[in-house]
Amino acid sequence: MGLLGRIPGWAVPVAIGVLVLLLPQVIGDFSLIRQVQLGLILALIVSGLNLSLGYAGELAIGQAAMYAAGAYTAGLLSLRGHTEILLHLLIAGAVALVVGTVTGIPGLRLGSWSLAMTSFFLVLLIPDVIAVFREQTGGRNGLSGILPPTLFGRPLTPDDYYLVIVVVTGLWFAVMRNIVVSRHGTALRVLKQSPVLAASMGISVFRMKLLAYALGAIPAGLAGALFANLDLYVSPEAFSFSLATTALAASILGGSASVYGALVGAFIMQFGLNQAGGFERYSLLVTGAFLILGGVALTGGLSSLAHTLWRRIAAPATVPERVERVQAPDMPDLRGEKLKVAGVAKAFGGNQALDTVGLIAEPGQVTALIGPNGSGKTTLLNMICGFYRADAGTITLGAKNLEGRAPHAVARSGVARTFQTPNIPPGITVLDAVMSGRFATHSASVLEAVLRLPRYRRVRRDDFAEARRMLDLVGLRHLEASEAVALPLGQRRLLEVARSLVAGPGLLLLDEVASGLDEDEAAGLADVIRKVRDAGGTVVLVEHNFQLVLSLADHIVVLAQGRVIAEGTPDMIERDPRVMSEYLGTVPDDSASPIVLGDLVDDAVGEE
Amino acid sequence: MTLIWGGLALGAVYALVAVGYNIVYISSKTFNFAQAQLMMVGAFLAYTALVSWNLTTPVVVLVAAAVVAGVAALEQVVAVNPVRDPHNILVTTLGAAILIDGFVQLQWGSQPLAVPFFAGDDAVTFAGGRVYPVELFLIILAVVVVVALTLLSRRTMTGLALLAMAEDREAAQLRGVNVRLMAFGAFVVAGVLAGTVGVFVGPKTYAISTLGASLALKGFVVLAIGGFGSLPGTLVGGLIVGLAEACAVRYLGSEYAHLTVFLILVAVLLARPSGLFVRVRERVV
Repeated sequence: MGLLGRIPGWAVPVAIGVLVLLLPQVIGDFSLIRQVQLGLILALIVSGLNLSLGYAGELAIGQAAMYAAGAYTAGLLSLRGHTEILLHLLIAGAVALVVGTVTGIPGLRLGSWSLAMTSFFLVLLIPDVIAVFREQTGGRNGLSGILPPTLFGRPLTPDDYYLVIVVVTGLWFAVMRNIVVSRHGTALRVLKQSPVLAASMGISVFRMKLLAYALGAIPAGLAGALFANLDLYVSPEAFSFSLATTALAASILGGSASVYGALVGAFIMQFGLNQAGGFERYSLLVTGAFLILGGVALTGGLSSLAHTLWRRIAAPATVPERVERVQAPDMPDLRGEKLKVAGVAKAFGGNQALDTVGLIAEPGQVTALIGPNGSGKTTLLNMICGFYRADAGTITLGAKNLEGRAPHAVARSGVARTFQTPNIPPGITVLDAVMSGRFATHSASVLEAVLRLPRYRRVRRDDFAEARRMLDLVGLRHLEASEAVALPLGQRRLLEVARSLVAGPGLLLLDEVASGLDEDEAAGLADVIRKVRDAGGTVVLVEHNFQLVLSLADHIVVLAQGRVIAEGTPDMIERDPRVMSEYLGTVPDDSASPIVLGDLVDDAVGEE
Repeated sequence: MTLIWGGLALGAVYALVAVGYNIVYISSKTFNFAQAQLMMVGAFLAYTALVSWNLTTPVVVLVAAAVVAGVAALEQVVAVNPVRDPHNILVTTLGAAILIDGFVQLQWGSQPLAVPFFAGDDAVTFAGGRVYPVELFLIILAVVVVVALTLLSRRTMTGLALLAMAEDREAAQLRGVNVRLMAFGAFVVAGVLAGTVGVFVGPKTYAISTLGASLALKGFVVLAIGGFGSLPGTLVGGLIVGLAEACAVRYLGSEYAHLTVFLILVAVLLARPSGLFVRVRERVV
């Protein structure tokens, strides 16, 4: 068992790659070799699709158009006497990237359907565009007379060309794998899980989706260049709707959110559908059925099944042993900044959710925001984060003005938050989840990630170190390799706190962070919050647990019906008559026996 | 004027596709890729029933509406209802669309079939241009359908319940709206609409197996212009898309038809991504 588990994850694909490379030595069957070549080309297209569908969560089938762009680019280059295959690949990839970026921008403006439709439309446009430029492209008759490819000026035999296709495909899959396991891959998973989470972590939703879609155009462009040089003939029929839908079915079948699933899906579609002649009439029926079945039942595709099996076989069956909680290290210094909310108002239709609310949170203090349900606490939090625009008033953090900025820009200027319901993407480990908190603030480009350049390695090393430090702080270090979403609620909350702290934020917003926790868990959380405060962090706490607020807060602001009705130290708030009336609905006799709000509210809240 | 009539009729067809999208969208916030394919099935059924079986138009409409509603209901049960992740509905309804395409190709082949129209297929001169009776009929049909549905949605309990669902699904559920039944019903109603309209779309466009894909995209452009969920918006969107396409074909050549509509889509998405008739709603955490 242990032996299998020690095989590195990349060994299997590399071995398969070598096997495919040697295939012509074993099999002389020309038509089979051709099917393999076409299968690899299809796999490139599917891989590009996976990047946007599987990782960014956006259905887009414009890859057929990028494929056509790549093929015609290569064909036209060849007709002008440039037969160098590397040049073809480079330019075809670049052209596809441009097409992807330009068409992705409008498509991504309006959520998922519009990208699906604009990319669909692109496929419909292929024959028209080819017809408009029929002088150059040969129109319906196709582009013939493409010269055989050369490599460094040396003509390539069909056997040589087979190697070129295998190597190019192999290299792309290596690139794809590097993107997916990098911090960009984690960021894409965050995005797919929740755009709100992504934005509050400083990830620009639009740019990240565009990145995935545009990057996915590159392999399609490469595939086009390879295809043009394989057949030495390009015609519009090669880029039909059915190609687009075949690629989509292959993606779903192999598992969209996987790297190598594209190969499996592409080969099944290539050999299954296009092989048997009589079968072809039913190809649309089969493709359609695959899509329905895949969408309904096979979430994750074949690769997910294989993955589960592999883990059963290879993973050591021991439960990670529970490490005694080591004395947590002290919090590193946090440079908290002063949050100043002044005169903020917000109405939803006729409902005045906030009415000239002011709030100041000092560094090195815990400022609690309390109030009955519907008093505007969460609205205020969302306004600080940039999810709502204020009708009036200002919000500043240190010297920076936050009001009017997009959520990801607010996050980048130092605001980190947790959510009422912990928001953690599936399929990543605790350590990855915490590291993702640094994605936006400590960045490295995709190119650096793909090539594993020094800056990427340095940022990655810091990611690891910082994330482990935060896990030590919240006491989750022993769970760093577990799947993050599988943790119990209390630990997921601590994980969110660690993720928020890992980038060293100027302001930490905790939204009902103790709800659903038992007493021990709440106490552990309170310890962490105190450490953050003592390290100089600015903490804003929205909380229903009144006892926790009283014991933790340095300053309490009470909201009711969109207005601040009281603020001050816990002692003052606990005895404030207006607060009592808001919480209890009655004005207590301010006579003989002084009622302490904490005792009463605690019971009331416990029943909620 | 001939040009305008042709463009308006085309736009009416697109608008009717968009109305179908809207019915499903309003009720369940999902996008039914296969709506135009349903309409295509209606057109083919009309061909078979009118030409092969020699039935009269009213009977054909009933048959087409019933059959297509059945197909839509099947689609909802098989490809929409069991899907847990709403993201996947795009994939499964696309699958349904492709499945219908494949079935239609097997059943009726890939050659265009001429569907007759009950009021004759001879162009008449009207308001300064040549116009086919079916074109006038389609324009009137689109306006009538939009007005009727708008009134229904504002005046009847069912319509109000639909609007409530569109606003807040859970709140509607708490108010006693049977959300699942309504979502199913919306597919059936969209199917009835598609079947009925398909009978009259055939005479304009021919019944051809690529009709679905092209109508689906144009219908979507109409939706993008008018705004998701806006019924009056579909008429305006249809007007713009139909006229633009007719002008492009007339003055630039047929290969510019799709390109022109695509450029309109891009322009609308860039300038006003929520459409002309829908107010921007703030997002909620």
